[in-house]
Amino acid sequence: MDHNSNQPEFKRDIQVYLTIIALTGLILGIHHLQLGTLGIALIVMVAVSEAAILGYFFMHLMTKKKTIHLVLLLTLIVFVTLLFWPAWDVAYSPRTPSEFTHN
Amino acid sequence: MEKTDLAHEIPESEKFIPYIVNPREDTGLYNAKFGIWLFLASEVMLFGSLFSAYILLRVGSFSWPVQSDIQNVPIGAVNSIILLSSSIFFIRAWVALKADDIAKYKKFMYLVILFAFMFLTLKGVEYYQHFSHHEYPKTSVFLAIYFLMTGLHALHIIGGILVNAYYVGPGMYLRAKDKQWFINRVEVAGLYWHFVDVVWIFLFSTLYLF
Repeated sequence: MDHNSNQPEFKRDIQVYLTIIALTGLILGIHHLQLGTLGIALIVMVAVSEAAILGYFFMHLMTKKKTIHLVLLLTLIVFVTLLFWPAWDVAYSPRTPSEFTHN
Repeated sequence: MEKTDLAHEIPESEKFIPYIVNPREDTGLYNAKFGIWLFLASEVMLFGSLFSAYILLRVGSFSWPVQSDIQNVPIGAVNSIILLSSSIFFIRAWVALKADDIAKYKKFMYLVILFAFMFLTLKGVEYYQHFSHHEYPKTSVFLAIYFLMTGLHALHIIGGILVNAYYVGPGMYLRAKDKQWFINRVEVAGLYWHFVDVVWIFLFSTLYLF
């Protein structure tokens, strides 16, 4: 955390905090609108933005530490690969009880 | 003579293990910071696998409950604010520690711990509400993964409380040994705390609202 005790850094931290709180409010607002699949997509997007802001400012990902970025990039690649690995299986799985019976 | 000069540059705490205070030249990180990022990467995989399981179970199921009907969304939202607030308190504590303001450091660290307990209390209230409605992990696939993921997250919170309590209590002796070493340790604990916060953002969005 490359923060100093000076006023601008304190202001920035408070602004980041308020932004994250506002984004949480936005998530609740989107949920309240009941937009269905679009709502799910929007909520995921806002949640990712919220996490990214928190990581960027509070977890000092803004600092140019290539080692940290490399570790995170490798983790992301492995995670996304593992996430979609079984997707083909789900795609061809029966969805309804009748499909189960036929298969 | 040369040997004496070199020994003078190395801090006392680094005489046996290098880079516990100062960062390595090639990575730009000291040991604990590199270690915590590797640990957090493994945590991403742990929670990631559970999120993956949740998505696949949901996509592959015949029916899925409307989660917000089962969940107490207001409590979940309040818990989000509590955890986010504890993160900003942690930053203030760390800034105070760097400025050598120990009273302020302790005040903010106690606030972090207090807010963590508030989070756990509200989580307990939620669990109680589920149990009183006879909603257990065995009741449905959704509740099984909900209790698993939020329970695991709560265990992380408890772990964080223990670490934070150590650094505001008995762990303070490290500061007497080497101030920068202690500051680094608290920074690493802060990274973990913010990560737990990030996980909650996703838990709240996926398990409470859809």
